[in-house]
Amino acid sequence: MTLATDPSKPYRPDALVVGGGIAGMQSALDLADQGLKVMLVERGPSIGGHMIALAKVFPTLDCASCITAPKMSASSHHDNIKILVNTEVQAIQTINGVHHVKLLKKATYVNFDKCIGCRLCEYACDAEYPDPLEEGLGAKRAIGVAFTNAIPQKAVLDPELCATCGTCARVCPTDAIEFDQQPETVIVETDAVVVASGFALNSLNVKPQYNAMRSKNIISGLTMERLLAPHGPYGRVLRPSDGKIPSSVAFVQCAGSRDASIGVPYCSRVCCMYAIKQAMLLSGALPIADITIYYMDIRAFGKGYEEFYQNAKAMGVNFVRGKVARIDPVDDGDLLLHVESTEDAENFLQQHRHDLVVLAQGMLPEWDMSGTTPVRRAPDGFVATPMLTSPTATTAPGIFVAGVAAGPKDIVDTIAEAGAAAMQVSQYLYQKRSIAVDQTQAAVLVG
Amino acid sequence: MSDKNGSIQQPGTQDLDLVCGTPEEEEALLEADATYMKQLAAVKQQLERVQQQRSDLPPEVRVGVYICRCGGNISDVVDVERVAEVVSLIPGVVTAKVNTFCCSDPGQQTITSDILEQNLDRVVVASCSPSLHEQTFRGAVSRANLNPYLYEQVNIREQGSWAHRHDPEGATQLAIHMISAAIGKLRYSIPLDQIKLPNHRKALVIGGGIGGMKAAVDMAGRGLLVMLVEKSDRLGGRLNERGRVYPSEKMASELVTELIQKVRANKNIEVLLNSNVTSVNGFIGNFRTVITGPFGPAGATESTDALVGAIVMATGYRPYVPRDGEFLYHQDPCVLTTPEFIQFLQSLDARTKDMVYQGRTIRSLAFLHCVGSRQLDGVHEPQSDGTLNTYCSRVCCSTILQQALAVRERFPKVRVYDFHRDIRTYGRGEEDYYINASKAGVVFFRFNGEDPIKVERNGHAGGKKAAPLTVTVKDALTWGEELEVPVDMVVLGVGMMPSHIEDLVESIKLPTGEDHFLQEVHPKLRPVEVAVNGVLLAGTAQGPMNIQETLNAAGAAAVKAASMFAKDVVELNPFVAVVDASRCTGNAICVTQCDYEGALKMVEVEVDGRKVQRAEVNAGLCSGCGACVPVCPSRAIDVDGWRLDQYDAMVDGLVADSAHSQCGVEELVHLG
Ligand SMILES: Cc1cc2nc3c(=O)[nH]c(=O)nc-3n(C[C@H](O)[C@H](O)[C@H](O)COP(=O)(O)OP(=O)(O)OC[C@H]3O[C@@H](n4cnc5c(N)ncnc54)[C@H](O)[C@@H]3O)c2cc1C
Ligand SMILES: Cc1cc2nc3c(=O)[nH]c(=O)nc-3n(C[C@H](O)[C@H](O)[C@H](O)COP(=O)(O)OP(=O)(O)OC[C@H]3O[C@@H](n4cnc5c(N)ncnc54)[C@H](O)[C@@H]3O)c2cc1C
Ligand code: SF4
Ligand code: SF4
Ligand code: SF4
Ligand code: SF4
Ligand code: SF4
Repeated sequence: MTLATDPSKPYRPDALVVGGGIAGMQSALDLADQGLKVMLVERGPSIGGHMIALAKVFPTLDCASCITAPKMSASSHHDNIKILVNTEVQAIQTINGVHHVKLLKKATYVNFDKCIGCRLCEYACDAEYPDPLEEGLGAKRAIGVAFTNAIPQKAVLDPELCATCGTCARVCPTDAIEFDQQPETVIVETDAVVVASGFALNSLNVKPQYNAMRSKNIISGLTMERLLAPHGPYGRVLRPSDGKIPSSVAFVQCAGSRDASIGVPYCSRVCCMYAIKQAMLLSGALPIADITIYYMDIRAFGKGYEEFYQNAKAMGVNFVRGKVARIDPVDDGDLLLHVESTEDAENFLQQHRHDLVVLAQGMLPEWDMSGTTPVRRAPDGFVATPMLTSPTATTAPGIFVAGVAAGPKDIVDTIAEAGAAAMQVSQYLYQKRSIAVDQTQAAVLVG
Repeated sequence: MSDKNGSIQQPGTQDLDLVCGTPEEEEALLEADATYMKQLAAVKQQLERVQQQRSDLPPEVRVGVYICRCGGNISDVVDVERVAEVVSLIPGVVTAKVNTFCCSDPGQQTITSDILEQNLDRVVVASCSPSLHEQTFRGAVSRANLNPYLYEQVNIREQGSWAHRHDPEGATQLAIHMISAAIGKLRYSIPLDQIKLPNHRKALVIGGGIGGMKAAVDMAGRGLLVMLVEKSDRLGGRLNERGRVYPSEKMASELVTELIQKVRANKNIEVLLNSNVTSVNGFIGNFRTVITGPFGPAGATESTDALVGAIVMATGYRPYVPRDGEFLYHQDPCVLTTPEFIQFLQSLDARTKDMVYQGRTIRSLAFLHCVGSRQLDGVHEPQSDGTLNTYCSRVCCSTILQQALAVRERFPKVRVYDFHRDIRTYGRGEEDYYINASKAGVVFFRFNGEDPIKVERNGHAGGKKAAPLTVTVKDALTWGEELEVPVDMVVLGVGMMPSHIEDLVESIKLPTGEDHFLQEVHPKLRPVEVAVNGVLLAGTAQGPMNIQETLNAAGAAAVKAASMFAKDVVELNPFVAVVDASRCTGNAICVTQCDYEGALKMVEVEVDGRKVQRAEVNAGLCSGCGACVPVCPSRAIDVDGWRLDQYDAMVDGLVADSAHSQCGVEELVHLG
């Protein structure tokens, strides 16, 4: 379905999209709908990006899967889109206006043309490890389909974890498993590229004073998303250290952003809103728990966001304006937050005890393309763009950017930007090809 | 329509064939009403065919029912397994399955393979609102070669599990009822074809700010024809009133000039200044619009008709204007709004050492955030129409900090105070203004929304040096202490409100939100489209945005237009009224009920050699609202996809089912 390449004819897409997150998928769809041929390249085993792992999304509280899964499905069924997964874009070289994109097709040890996604191999494999897609909370086997609604539905074997027992090969009904598969480097030529390589979060430990390495109960926002997802690892919200139902949850905002000393002076733009969202979902899931958000500024700026914030306040979520100076693990796996409140003069150095703490980590660019591609990054690390004239253009002609690769942003803003990038690409191609035709015609006239 | 219009083809490359006609060809198109009529005739034929099919309904149906857990959104409340069990007993149901995410690819695959393997000829998905995924599932059904209109979506989430969270049994019963009704309806469903109508590949952009200009340039740069209508005498919109803009500190005028040059240089764009769109009729691909203007001193001069396929709303915003007396606005000369202050700073001579306004030397200055935004019930005074601007205007924090910093840099002696609730410098490069303003000595005060700031004239008329205004704040940064800050000038950081486009909202029937801005269909699935197909949103007409966000929204609108124009025809759902000419008595009551101009009219036909009047529907203009249906005494008019026999069957389905709740499954089977 997705990988059947005809080796005799190198596939030449009109545009190649780097990254199969929401930005990449939306760009690919908007290009393909215009009749352009697109190659969508994703490093992981499925398209969907970060969004497919979220529980519900602000501000509408739609389940993330309900928005992402259909876009994944639409991308995979589109005649003009070809999806490559387990494939990393490593470099881009532009020669005479043609981009030569270097792809590393990782070895999956499964022949995708044969695999039917039955998961028999997965059920038979004994090698278990913490599932990265569940933020390490659930278990995963050394071979298997990435997740229930992954696209494509193909098993991938992880050689690092495989005990080479051969069980999977024995149970596979289609003989799809190929232990001797090798990674492969391919060069794809294309006229335009969209960089939609998204984000990574900085470490929970960037602020040593928060002692995240000393407690399992100091978790990231993404872990909280999985805890809240109805189809998540536990099916309900339990704290990681001992499986206790939390009764007092704290959100510490700006825990990896707006701080020049950790190299992230900028605002990550989504964490205020997702903390509020998670707080709201928690108060539904754990009606008696108390939930506190420690913040400096609540940045609820988007359409409907301020109203969302006011709703959360009305629902009883505590908002405490203050700096969290330190977090200390105490007995029972609980955590003591030392807070410099700006609201209470009598008692401005406060201590609050919570049994689960979520840190709002900062957003960093996922892919550093500088050096290996003609694209330049700005001092903040994200792709440099002429923001006030053409926000999706880069310093390299014919290469465009969308989504968090061009700076932190939420899904709504990402989707708009992905459409805008697709528009720039189609214009670029149109103009390039019009000129090409003009020149051929001129050549005919002269010759 | 010719699809070769100026298309650029090159061997070995993908054809970018959505280029529309040259103006001459477009001209021809306008005259080619004949083509249009032909298309309508085709539609009529289709409707006739449908009517014939009606008499030979399939006696037996083979229904597949798919019940979605929606991760847990549904199944945490509704007992989906029991629903499947019960509905599987309804006659005609071949299979009833539960799926975790019906809309995911594996979920859709289950449906398509069941259709093929089990010969299903009807499909029900009980899941979320059809507005979310009707298209998704129609697509899945089509992939299995089943007519997409033999599909029904039952909303057991928004109307079920979410609405009845605390009544699982009730929600479960409701799901059974609704599925049963849908199956009833499907028994009388017939295959329908989408209505295909000509696609006029030309876009009308309303509003010539950066949003409108960018959308126009993007579409024209792709080979599409664009008409850009601006009501004022120049392009550029609100940016014409600004100086340097964050985050690049470029001059707004430079940005505007650059875009205007691109607009002017592109022969695909026709610009109409001083003009208004005075009438809009029709539908996607076929909007008949009237543009009046240019308006001279003597009023409107002329009007132009334009037939366009898409309309891009780029009518922008207006800054909030404080009421007289709100923070002493219009009562003290030195209380200004941010736009006024920006103009004032612009007007100052570059060499001026002192900041003097209306004869007053400004030694201290206060910026107030959230004026006319983030208003709270019971705290703020509503607008004249009784509503509050509850939203955040998104740009005013950065604007204020940019201006505050500019003042400190240019007039280091002027003390600058900032009064905010939160500092929302969220965007790329915006936080730097906050950091730099702090470094430059701007003094920050913070207040809670519930304790608004007061601006008063200084009571002690006192000595010459006393500042004439006092800002009183309960400062949250110093634990709620009440502080009085004397200042010479107060700048009100006003928010954004939508432009006055009530006339367009009315004539195009555009949906607006509680915030009065134009409302998109769905912020993530269809973020730049409105409920009226073919109408797109570009920029701050939709809600507050900065320049970058406006440009992106414009690009996103342009790409939707480009995708739409990639097709020769527009395809519409066939849910339109159809007249059964054999029953119609020609009394024309239906016509009087129809709100959609041209959708329904009486035509003369010959019956048995006699000339009589019969109702006729224009499928392109009919909205399928059904207002005509109940008034017809002879039941001669019906809306396809929602016919009266289908409604009857739905009611039967519900009754059968409620009988079941009381007397058991047999009854249901019997009645079903
Ligand atoms: C905890 C949390 C909660 C959130 N909740 C919400 C919410 O409720 N609402 C909301 O609007 N937003 C929310 N967001 C923000 C949202 O996740 C992002 O806006 C969105 O996911 C950005 O999409 P993207 O496509 O730009 O990036 P990503 O989702 O990061 O996708 C990028 C993709 O590119 C791939 N990739 C990267 N480099 C390469 C390469 N070299 N070659 C091939 N592939 C590559 C990656 O594997 C990845 O799949 C949340 C964020 C977090 C962290
Ligand atoms: C005080 C202030 C300062 C700002 N500073 C910055 C900044 O520094 N950086 C930044 O990024 N953003 C800034 N912004 C935001 C910026 O102004 C907007 O993002 C941008 O102007 C939006 O452009 P637009 O095209 O959507 O709307 P507009 O600029 O409002 O343009 C709309 C156009 O449509 C026309 N129009 C309206 N109705 C009709 C009709 N019925 N028929 C025909 N034409 C019509 C209007 O005449 C106007 O020309 C600022 C905003 C404010 C309030
Ligand atoms: S060979 Fe590896 S992947 Fe296969 S079953 Fe054994 S451990 Fe699992
Ligand atoms: S590799 Fe074989 S056993 Fe595993 S999912 Fe694919 S077909 Fe099934
Ligand atoms: S969005 Fe909120 S939590 Fe995140 S960096 Fe910005 S201010 Fe801090
Ligand atoms: S951007 Fe700032 S000043 Fe404007 S409404 Fe939002 S919080 Fe208030
Ligand atoms: S369905 Fe509505 S729009 Fe259509 S003809 Fe009847 S009244 Fe008019």
